[in-house]
Amino acid sequence: MATDDRVTHNSDHYDGYRSRGMDKRKYADEADVCIVGAGAAGGVLAYELAKAGLRVVVIEAGPFWDPQNDFASDELSMRRLAWQETRLVAGNDPLKLGHNNSGRGVGGGTVHFTGVFLRFHESDFQTRTIDGVGEDWPIRYKDLAPYYDKIEKEIAVSGPDHFPWGAFQGPYPYPVREPISANAQLFREGCDKLGFESVVAPLAILSAPFDGRPPCINRGFCNQGCMPNAKYSGLIHHIPKAIAHGAEVLSDCMVTEILMAGGRVSGVLFQHEGLTHRQMARVVILAGFVVETPRLLLQSTTSRFPNGLANSSGWVGKAIMPHSSHDVYGRLPDEVRLYKGTPVLALTQHFYETDQKRGFARGYTLSAHGARPVGMAGAISAEREDGSFLWGNRLRETMLDYNQFARITLVGEVLPNPDNAVTLSGKKDEYGMPIPQVTFSYGENDRKLYQHAIGQMKQIIEAVGGTPEHVVSDTAHLMGGCRMGDDPETSVVNDFGQTHDIPNLFIAGASTFVTSGGGNPTNTVMALAARTADKLVEAMSRRDV
Amino acid sequence: MAKHSHYPSYDVWDQHKEWDAHTQKVVGKRRSPQVAHQFFTETEALLLQTVVSVLVDDHRLEVLTFVTQHLDDSAASPIGESQRKVGVPPKKELYRLGLAGVEAESHRTYGASFVALKPEEQESVLQRVASGKTQSEQAWTAANPVDFFKKLLQDTVGAYYSHPLVWSDIGYGGPAYPRGYVRVEKGLTDPWEAKANGNG
Repeated sequence: MATDDRVTHNSDHYDGYRSRGMDKRKYADEADVCIVGAGAAGGVLAYELAKAGLRVVVIEAGPFWDPQNDFASDELSMRRLAWQETRLVAGNDPLKLGHNNSGRGVGGGTVHFTGVFLRFHESDFQTRTIDGVGEDWPIRYKDLAPYYDKIEKEIAVSGPDHFPWGAFQGPYPYPVREPISANAQLFREGCDKLGFESVVAPLAILSAPFDGRPPCINRGFCNQGCMPNAKYSGLIHHIPKAIAHGAEVLSDCMVTEILMAGGRVSGVLFQHEGLTHRQMARVVILAGFVVETPRLLLQSTTSRFPNGLANSSGWVGKAIMPHSSHDVYGRLPDEVRLYKGTPVLALTQHFYETDQKRGFARGYTLSAHGARPVGMAGAISAEREDGSFLWGNRLRETMLDYNQFARITLVGEVLPNPDNAVTLSGKKDEYGMPIPQVTFSYGENDRKLYQHAIGQMKQIIEAVGGTPEHVVSDTAHLMGGCRMGDDPETSVVNDFGQTHDIPNLFIAGASTFVTSGGGNPTNTVMALAARTADKLVEAMSRRDV
Repeated sequence: MAKHSHYPSYDVWDQHKEWDAHTQKVVGKRRSPQVAHQFFTETEALLLQTVVSVLVDDHRLEVLTFVTQHLDDSAASPIGESQRKVGVPPKKELYRLGLAGVEAESHRTYGASFVALKPEEQESVLQRVASGKTQSEQAWTAANPVDFFKKLLQDTVGAYYSHPLVWSDIGYGGPAYPRGYVRVEKGLTDPWEAKANGNG
């Protein structure tokens, strides 16, 4: 059974360092930079900072995966790529966590993301000014544009020659993916009939060989971990390159406390196989995503920081945002076979910008999205939008027609609300840390937005002769909780991710987002991390952090 | 709606030698589950297996044994449950309370154990649990029937639709590494994929 199927834990992978007993650490005395979390942001930072000659240690709670031996073409067993530790969820719309939005292990969520690689639009950074909702970011699109360029080029993003929405209109560094799956073809035909422009998705998945890695073979298991290494992940790209530049990666190590020396951070404590170790560093960067980063800050209290570190504003943990991510499954007259090919191969941002006539602010992306049996059956049986359950004979007979279903997925903007928050519960976990509680309720604008999107998804399916049969209520991604801003009273970090309160403590990743945008966030996470890295290299060379 | 598989002659396991070694091992184990309950008692396991058979409308022993075994493994495992709604008991407690609740509901309505009921009676008991309209109030004071039903349905469906026999029923191509899929566009299938009603 799955539980005795152990991972290889190959973190002692470079000569002379990191024996299993942790007694040969590379920078045991002190590092220049300690990065907590080896996901999308942590990987980029580790690579950029190590390349600049800094002594970098990355501490990651989960394993150092070996795709060939640890991954399988299987939904059930690959749930372990997610952060499965129990979190408490509350609010009117309690979030599904785990595989839905988190990663655990080197590479973090990039190990099981779909690879959809979109930029935010100019309007995303100024929703308060333009639409009177949300909050403006302290940066504009143009501040991030060179970093989007850099990241997309560095990982050879494939995409169309012309991208019709937003400030960036292509072309992408690598050729567009071809062929596309039946589900993606149907989606594009439906969009055409309704007058919505659509494109083959820009993807962090290779369309031709690159950097010793092969192009995609349409195996379709992006969400279970790519085995041919055609899909980008920090695990196979940034982290190995960071190691080659001298970085050390301590996997299976859980950071439990941030150490302070007066008003500055001095390092972190972490646990490995039940023993506590210390890593000192000149600068600490928290890149542990939207739940773990606030948890660590909130529980690391000192007499000087009684409400948690970097929390003089009271905004640590607040204004977390998922994307609304409802699905519509429609029955088609002919076979679709949702299991085949890269899961997301087509999308439209026709509804991305605010249109007052729709009765809500902001917008969304719609994607043709593949589905495997466990994913589809789980969603249509127990996650239905109307709250009912599908089981017994009705479930079995529906799933016998599995190959006839098409699926469309929403990535919808959710407005920031300080009541949606990560807080600490009174319960403790295996490390003795307080278990986080994640509270979420949709607002009125959010509901109008996803209802509108459900209507459009149904229309697209009907336009190609299908019958929409199952509407699934779901969310994807998480953002916010340590938002950036110019005002230390209403934000946690500045536009480079430096905390307002502690000059040598930085935060990277989706937790610094001010608004959610209406598209997949990973490109923005990585571009922001690259921007933070540039700033940090410059500041550390002048020794002014 | 189909009553039977569109792919009666298709067996996804026939292709297993084309799969990578790790996937072969992971999926292969499901074909011969070990009956060694760590968490549930024998009585609970029998009840659970009967409930599962109603939830998935399937009576093949090899499939049901695997699902029950998976549920037992996951209840015994220290791995977390990703999220738990505030006020809902931890999974281990929820399962135990819920199974006792199903049994109580069965006795209250039909005066017999769930495993001894007729299929339509079993469905009716589970329908009341699913809709929260249970009558044996005492049995459901510590656990909400709908919370239990949702958890059990999610876990059951996750395991059931991971069994290669069920993959064959629905015509799922299954694991595809290292070979991948070549013909992914509308109307195309690779030679080894399931063909509807044996056509192709």
